[in-house]
Amino acid sequence: MSRDDSVPVGVSPPRDNGSRGTGGDPQDWVVALATPGPGQDDAMRRLHALMVRAAAHQVWRMRAALPDPSPHAVDDLANQAADEAMTALLRKLHTFQGRSRFSTWAFKFAILQAATEVRRIQWQHREVELRDLEIEAPAHDGPDQISEARDLGTAVTRAMRTCLTPHQRRVAIALLVDGVPIDVLADRLGSTRGALYKTVHDVRVRLRTELVATGHLPATAPFSTSAGTP
Amino acid sequence: MSTTPEPGRRPLAASAIDALILDTTPWLSCEACFDQMDTYVEAVLHDPAHEDPAMAAHLRGCPACAEEADALIDLITGIPG
Repeated sequence: MSRDDSVPVGVSPPRDNGSRGTGGDPQDWVVALATPGPGQDDAMRRLHALMVRAAAHQVWRMRAALPDPSPHAVDDLANQAADEAMTALLRKLHTFQGRSRFSTWAFKFAILQAATEVRRIQWQHREVELRDLEIEAPAHDGPDQISEARDLGTAVTRAMRTCLTPHQRRVAIALLVDGVPIDVLADRLGSTRGALYKTVHDVRVRLRTELVATGHLPATAPFSTSAGTP
Repeated sequence: MSTTPEPGRRPLAASAIDALILDTTPWLSCEACFDQMDTYVEAVLHDPAHEDPAMAAHLRGCPACAEEADALIDLITGIPG
């Protein structure tokens, strides 16, 4: 597949892009961005506009999480995220292989950067508590709670105590029980999103293996289970 | 029989139990998810029946990546953020 930015069948072009063959965007973004000269300067400006647009889209989606969700603050944050995302993209430019539109490939860098920044701001004044072995099985005195849910909750709690390492428990509780965003926890722990997700994946595999062994989950469980319907 | 959590301890919500025992196999890392996100999103938009079990499993299990994939879809389809 070529590295041009042609629009795949069934995919609408981005709004106000104005570039698909008529707006002057490079036919080959990689060459344009990597080749010094006036063409490179123009490509950089066009790329930055794409990044600002995607970052603004993401910050606006998440504006409710911001202490200051005003249009001015959103704009400032989007521009900052776009600048950082553009730097990240240019470091990876050589990896673009044209399997998607260049704009789609570029957008994901800005979306990631903007989302990460919004989550960081959202939690910047909040303490992240790393709890271990402080969880209870679900309370079971409500009239609408069924015994299966009780049993599963108790079994999950027991499996967490017996099958997980302290580190796995702390990470799992922070991310999956307390709802700490993975980027925020990674930042606080000096880790990465990928490393923490691997920890969570291992936690899930261990818990599921134990729950299958104890009969609380079927061996061929569906992808997603609901508490109370093991 | 009623149980009262000890001070400083919190009950495990049903949603947390779901999240803890979610099946996220086949394995896909966040890095691989990011690498494939653009092609995955375009494939889904081209064919809503497009299947990528590893990507789908990852997006079920990683709210951050899922939000970013949803945002990318909305952006390129023109849905306002």
